[in-house]
Parts: sequence; structure tokens; C-alpha cells
Amino acid sequence: MNLVIIDYGSGNLRSVENAFKISINNNNLNFKVYVSNNLKLIKDADYIVLPGVGAYADCKKGLLKIDGLIDVLIEKVIVNCIPFLGICVGMQLMAEQGFEKEKTVGLEWIDGNIEKINYLSKDSLGRNLKIPHMGWNNLNIYNKKHPVLENISNDEQFYFVHSYYLNTLKKDQILADTYYSHKIPAIVGQRNYLGVQFHPEKSNKSGHKLITNWLKWKP
Amino acid sequence: MLSTRVIACLDVHNGRTVKGINFVNLQDAGDPVEQAKLYSDLGADEICFLDISATNEKRKTMYDVISKTADSCFVPLTVGGGVNDIKDFRNLLNCGADKVSINSSAVKNPELIKQAADKFGNQCVVLAIDAANNDKMNSGYEVTTHGGRNKTGIDALLWAQQGVNFGAGEILLTSMSADGTKKGYNLKLTKVISENVFVPVIASGGAGSPIDMVEVVIKSGASAVLAASIFHFGIYSIKSVKDEMEKNGILVRKCEN
Repeated sequence: MNLVIIDYGSGNLRSVENAFKISINNNNLNFKVYVSNNLKLIKDADYIVLPGVGAYADCKKGLLKIDGLIDVLIEKVIVNCIPFLGICVGMQLMAEQGFEKEKTVGLEWIDGNIEKINYLSKDSLGRNLKIPHMGWNNLNIYNKKHPVLENISNDEQFYFVHSYYLNTLKKDQILADTYYSHKIPAIVGQRNYLGVQFHPEKSNKSGHKLITNWLKWKP
Repeated sequence: MLSTRVIACLDVHNGRTVKGINFVNLQDAGDPVEQAKLYSDLGADEICFLDISATNEKRKTMYDVISKTADSCFVPLTVGGGVNDIKDFRNLLNCGADKVSINSSAVKNPELIKQAADKFGNQCVVLAIDAANNDKMNSGYEVTTHGGRNKTGIDALLWAQQGVNFGAGEILLTSMSADGTKKGYNLKLTKVISENVFVPVIASGGAGSPIDMVEVVIKSGASAVLAASIFHFGIYSIKSVKDEMEKNGILVRKCEN
């Protein structure tokens, strides 16, 4: 199997690559991992990961800069239905629009917009909630039967760092959410494509479990 | 709910971990790559490397340390020390750092915060502030640089707020009077900064026991606690710190995950 981690000038590519390679090796999975923006390689991919760090508008510009990339992604993910995982801003790009820095149209694969977290409240210790939402947080899993969530419980924590979140009315595309000032979708998607707001590559053992489940996923 | 982070900090000099008292009297405390992996296995929520090597050739040793750490350690990694420009940011991030902390270079050139935040995102710019007591300042604290040797005449709170406006995503706040003393964090300093900026504030300098960590979270509102020496010399484990925090009603991530 070919796994391509899309390199579009955004993201902690080395960490993402490392984490996937460790999950592959530890579970004797048969994958070749490429970090690339070569359209031919992406066309041959069996699994695609879209990482993303930074501002929404900049990440979208990064995608557009690689001529033909978005068309190939649509062909692979929407037409050919291969497994896809968006990470952090990579997940947010799946939404309709983003409002960080400037209004930006996303890939429109899931319903909803990317809006600023409403943080004008305090936590249980009376501390002001801070932005970014930064650190380890639990999941509240709605779809416990989803193969990607196998063996992952609500007690496990994942590393989040973001100031914007997916605001959506379409609840059936949310597999799990987390709580910070309000509910924040943590794992979203449908059919063959998923997005995670947190960073599985930085979420130690819990992250490796999720990555391994995703690599074994045959939607 | 969000857990309060416990961060293990490694001061690295020529590829080895060191920790001194009040930034002098360096003592050797081991291999940073092994220690980072150990700490992440034992439940540290983040690892922080502070490169205190003085020369550029020694910095290359640091790149190697970071790369090896990023290959084996799957929690967020912050690296600071000697970061002067965007190129340094890029090099560190390419080696596998998730966040870069800047201190003296930001005081000299605040635009660097803005440039880095624009280029790599606010989440990866950590503004490190070394604050010393100074009653002449409105907040009562003055920014110092170069390990406390240089006084800047800048009010620590004003600088924190300015840094956040420029795009810093987090503040790593060290009390120069408390650092290395193991007598507890500077509660007043941490409170005045964390109550007046909207980004997370990491309390640093002075941790001597798990109860110090509890205090700075509950009394001063720190978002995260950082410590070095109490972990290196095996005085307290990460787990003992987290157990104490949990006992006092602070949410923490379980060490086994």
C-alpha cells in the first residue's frame, strides 16, 4: 500500500511521517510512506494524509499553489473513495469556509464553517480559559463502533492546539467531540474520509492507536 | 476537559543535559535524547529543550539531539535558546520541534514574533520571559535577558501583552529569583501575567516539590507547570507530581497513556 502525506508547505511533516512509520512498523503493516506533492505519486496513493499547521487562509493558499492538487484530491477522495485523514488545519480544510485572517472557501467535503472558539468563560478552578486551546483533552465518542475508534475510550486524551473549530449543525458527521468552553468536534467525517482536530502524531500511545486503526481501515 | 500540563525541561549544553542553580554552577545530568524519551514514557505532557550552548558549531549538535528526540518521542517538543531569526525557526521545526521559544532575540527585535507567527502559526511561537523583581516597574517585574545578566528596563507584563499582540501563542514565564532554588514558583509574578494575557502561561523556575506545582495552578492560574531539576535527579517522578495535582482537584492526563 502507498501512503502519501501531502507536502504543501504546511505542517510538522517530520513528526507526522515518524508517527505513521512507527505505527506501521509496530504492527507489521505493509505500507510505503511518501511525503510529497508529486501529483503522479498522489494519484497512485492508496491512503492520503493531509496535515496542516498555521492559519487556515495560508494553508488553503498552500494547497492552491500546487497546480492541480485539489483536483487530484477530489478525484482520489470523493470519486475513488480511498481512505483520507485530515489533521488539525488539514481537517478544517474539509469544511465549507474558514474565517481565520480572512474568509476562505474550504474543500466543502463536510458541512459547517471554521470559527473562533468562544472562550469567555472560566474553568473549574476559576482560571480564565485561554486561546489557543492547547494541551491534552478527552474525547466524547458518539460512534463507538467506528473501526477507527476501536479500543479507544473516553478516558484517553489527545493533544490539541487550535484557536478555531468546526461549527456545524450536521451532527451525524461528528464521530467524537471534546469540551473546551463548549463542545468542539474532535473527529469528523463520513464514508471514506475523516478529519481530526487534535494531533495524533503528538498524542503518544493514544495517537498511535488511532493511527493504526486508520491504517487498517477499509471503508 | 483540558488537563493541566506537566512539562519536563532539559537544559542542554554541548549535547548534554545540565541544570544549574540560578543559571550558574552547571551540573551534568545526562543524555537529553534518552531523558526526553523516558519522560514521555513516564507521562510528561510535553518536553522542553533549552539550548544553552554558546557557539554556532555547538548548535549543530543540538539539531542532532532534536532530530533523534523527535524520532522516538511522541509528545510535543519545544526548543529554545539562541534562536535569532526565521531561519533558526525553520531549522528547528524541520528537525522535528513543534514549538520554538524565543527570549533575548524577541526583546531585541519584536518583529521576529510577528514574522514567525505569520509564517508558522501562533501555536509554534513561545515567548520566553525571564522576569526579575523590580519595584520601579508597574507590574513589579522587569524583563531580563542573557540568563538574567542584562536588565532591559521593560515591564514584564507590558512585554507579555505586547508579545501576545505580536502573535505569541504561549508564554513561558521564568522567575529569575526563584529559578533553581526549589523553594516554589513565584506565585505573584505568575498570577499577574496569567490573569492579564489570553494565551496559556507556563510557570517556570523554583519547583521543589509536587505541592509547588499545585499552588501555582490553583493560586496563580498557570495553564502548565514546568520543572527541570526535581525530575532529573529523581527527587520526584512525573507521576508523583500528577498524583498530587489530581488529589487537589486539578485535571491531569494519566501517565500510562
